[in-house]
Amino acid sequence: MNQTHKPHPTPKQYVQIAVILGILTAIEVVLYYTESTVGVFTDPLLMILAVSKFVIVVGWFMHLRFENSLVNRFFAGGMILALFLFAIVMLERASAIFFFS
Amino acid sequence: MSEDIKEKRFLTVFKRPSSTEGIWSWITTVDHKKIGIMYGYAAFFFLLLGGLEALILRIQLAKPDNDFLSAAEYNAMFTMHGTTMVFLVIMPLSAAFFNYLLPLQIGARDVAFPRLNALSYWLWIFGGLFLYSTFIFGSAGAPQGGYLAEEIGWLGNAPNGGWFGYQPNASFKYSPGTAMDYWALGLQILGVSSLVSAFNFITTILNMRAKGMRLMRMPVFTWMTFAVAFLLAFSLPIIAIALFFVTFDRQFGTTFFLTEGGGDPVLWQHLFWLFGHPEVYILILPAFGIVSEILPTFSKKPLFGYAAIVFAGFGIAFIGFGVWAHHMFASAISPVAQAGFGLSTMVIAVPTGVKIFNWLGTIWGGKLNLKTPMLFALGFIAMFVIGGLSGVTHSIVPADTQQTDTYYIVAHFHYVLFGGAMFGIFAGLYYWFPKVWGKMYNEKLGQLHFWLMMIGFNLTFGPMHWLGLKGQIRRTWVYAEETNLGFWNMVVTIGVFVIAVSIIIFMINWIYSKRKGPEAPMDPWDARTIEWTIPSPTPVWNFSTPPEIENLDDFWHRKYDEDEEGRPVRKDMANQLLIDLESDGLNPKEHIELPNPSYFPFILASGLPFLGYAIIYRSLALAGLGLLLLLIGGFGWALEPIEEEEIGDVEDG
Amino acid sequence: MGDHGYPHEPTGVETRKLGMWVFLSTEILFFGTLITTYLIFKGRSFDGIKLEEVYDIPFTSVSSFVLLMSSLTMVLAHHAIEKSDQERTSIWLLATALLGAVFLAGQIYEFTEFYHKGFTLTVNIYGSTFYVLTGFHGAHVFIGVILLIILWGVGQRQNGLSLDGGMNLEFIALYWHFVDIVWIVLFTVVYLI
Repeated sequence: MNQTHKPHPTPKQYVQIAVILGILTAIEVVLYYTESTVGVFTDPLLMILAVSKFVIVVGWFMHLRFENSLVNRFFAGGMILALFLFAIVMLERASAIFFFS
Repeated sequence: MSEDIKEKRFLTVFKRPSSTEGIWSWITTVDHKKIGIMYGYAAFFFLLLGGLEALILRIQLAKPDNDFLSAAEYNAMFTMHGTTMVFLVIMPLSAAFFNYLLPLQIGARDVAFPRLNALSYWLWIFGGLFLYSTFIFGSAGAPQGGYLAEEIGWLGNAPNGGWFGYQPNASFKYSPGTAMDYWALGLQILGVSSLVSAFNFITTILNMRAKGMRLMRMPVFTWMTFAVAFLLAFSLPIIAIALFFVTFDRQFGTTFFLTEGGGDPVLWQHLFWLFGHPEVYILILPAFGIVSEILPTFSKKPLFGYAAIVFAGFGIAFIGFGVWAHHMFASAISPVAQAGFGLSTMVIAVPTGVKIFNWLGTIWGGKLNLKTPMLFALGFIAMFVIGGLSGVTHSIVPADTQQTDTYYIVAHFHYVLFGGAMFGIFAGLYYWFPKVWGKMYNEKLGQLHFWLMMIGFNLTFGPMHWLGLKGQIRRTWVYAEETNLGFWNMVVTIGVFVIAVSIIIFMINWIYSKRKGPEAPMDPWDARTIEWTIPSPTPVWNFSTPPEIENLDDFWHRKYDEDEEGRPVRKDMANQLLIDLESDGLNPKEHIELPNPSYFPFILASGLPFLGYAIIYRSLALAGLGLLLLLIGGFGWALEPIEEEEIGDVEDG
Repeated sequence: MGDHGYPHEPTGVETRKLGMWVFLSTEILFFGTLITTYLIFKGRSFDGIKLEEVYDIPFTSVSSFVLLMSSLTMVLAHHAIEKSDQERTSIWLLATALLGAVFLAGQIYEFTEFYHKGFTLTVNIYGSTFYVLTGFHGAHVFIGVILLIILWGVGQRQNGLSLDGGMNLEFIALYWHFVDIVWIVLFTVVYLI
């Protein structure tokens, strides 16, 4: 392998990260059950939690934080393209129902 | 890494294949050049099939109220014509060029993942054969309220829902029988093939470039390959899911696209065109690349605005993801979407225009050498501009509402796909013929092919512009006498026969010249890029010594200096350079390891058609067989070491 | 390719790693299409049984937790092989495969329960999108488990795994984590929101 050795988290740090992920999941489940109290904030909060878990796994477990930026750009590019395209499709379908029904 | 784990060979039952001759060498090859050649021949065969389908269609339309074909047969013929030409002709012909040329243009020995490359090919050919097996095994039923069952005929037992498979027309209710399943599953297999290629090419271009081959020194053809790979990689997954939805709707009772179950037919259109629009740029960008190589060579001038052409290519690819709903202006999409997509479609004309002006700038003031490749390249520019202009008129939503589903649209896309992509491909076939075969084609026959094709092509597709504006509807098997469209339809049909003759001339030229043509020198066109620095035909190892690149158009700069006015002046040692390059190229000094051949791509690929048949015929046995082949192929591949010792290597001297 | 004089990897990223990341970037579009379809139909009103009437959030939460932890064991396996600790690598690989299998078993159990309650693939569009979306994810998990077991088997046969070989832990790990992050999104979007 001709790569320079990238910094790695230690096993202890990996376990800590896993604990954080577990806690975030637990909060998500609690939010689900307390929807009546939290009200309109439930969905956005759930999404923030999901995104955080996503970023943590991608960044640390998949090592993207420590990787060459080229690889980062591929993944980010794919994400941005997907979000953009699918947002348009969903908006179009929602607005079509509005216009045509 | 402290320990060195030796990979153990698992399968001592099957030895690694090592033949270099004969059919096994082709089945087990991982050599990008052989794979490119296989793509080329197979795609040409499908060109003849697709062309035959076109001829049959045009015979039917030569006169009004004709009964040469029934409606059912007509639907099958235009569906197969379109599907064939897009997926089984232009894409694989482009793939033939990518495969053969890409490693040569960047100075590499092969692609990043040679076995994966072979897998792409075998998946493609099995997918194509699976699709066409519909004529043998498939059936198209009579839809309720549609034509009568007795009218279907042999030709009609093929996919008949259009190459775009609009739902619910292509659903089980309105397209009973198995034919549209062959279509959906066949395209699924073909999609995997291209997707796999895309990863391979992206990785190859990024990581396998020779020393000094910086990104901005790569030939434009390589850049276009790069853009195409991105388009494929990000658009194919979308249609893969869409095709799964179709198969589930047809076979397993879901209702993704069926309103009676709460589904949405327009969703299909979105998903299909999210792929379908990038697909048309996938079809044209390779030709853009080919023409960008040929024009400078035959004008003895560098490409005008190299950077602009590269960025415009990526601009087209990128914006190409944002225009898909212009295929849906007449479907029930919201007016906001119509406005937005109309705008984005107009915008995409800009980078396209940049390229055209740069090509014109390349020719301007050049010393033009009007050989066949150049004729096709010039023809490409003219024909593509016509097609592009009609395309821009579609971007205006109210105008498009008139044009949609008429022959005006048919004229547009044939001008860009045939006059554009195919002309570009023919240009490339003639241009690189000497490099691949070591022989020169016959120039007179080449010119005859070009002129006949130009005449035939314009006779065929020119009149379609006004036929469409006068109201001739597409995808319809007859038109009435009272429409007075008969005369120009006859002209169109005659044009198709002229095209057919020109293709026969091309084939004669190819077959004859390959066998008996004069030997071609290493650099017959006095070209600019490094694939011309190696002997013709290309040695199996490509470059004897890895090239070191110092410039864009590196080969040209090794042959030519510039005088004070920027004109090229041939260096004195240029001829000696050619002699040295050839002799070095034929005699590698060091031991060269080539990627080893393998059975497993072939085996793995063969499993997918069986899975397809299993779904259509609900056969567990076939599913089991397909899975078994996939597993054997997959396991064998995974456990095969990447490099074996001393098999198929090139010895010194 | 083992050629002297041929420079490798001008990007500085190992070729197979680059290939794997390109592949994963395309899988985003694959799952994105599935999720978008799900969301489009979720927003529409229609008659018939809905997921909310049959699911069991505590059960699925535990399942999700299991899959999350499998990412931990996966990364520990990767760490072990970087340190050339073949025994640990082997154990963590098996642990990951096991957790993945437990997740799959949970999915199968869940779906069987849903079927009994009348929430089937073809009952309505909601059922169709749910099962196809989670089904594709499950298929990906299944393939991942198979890959992990093969990798473990290769390690046993060769008395250890190397990072230079064809079957490579680092890239299978990337695939596995990807399958996990898809579930992170799915769990929230399908079950919780």
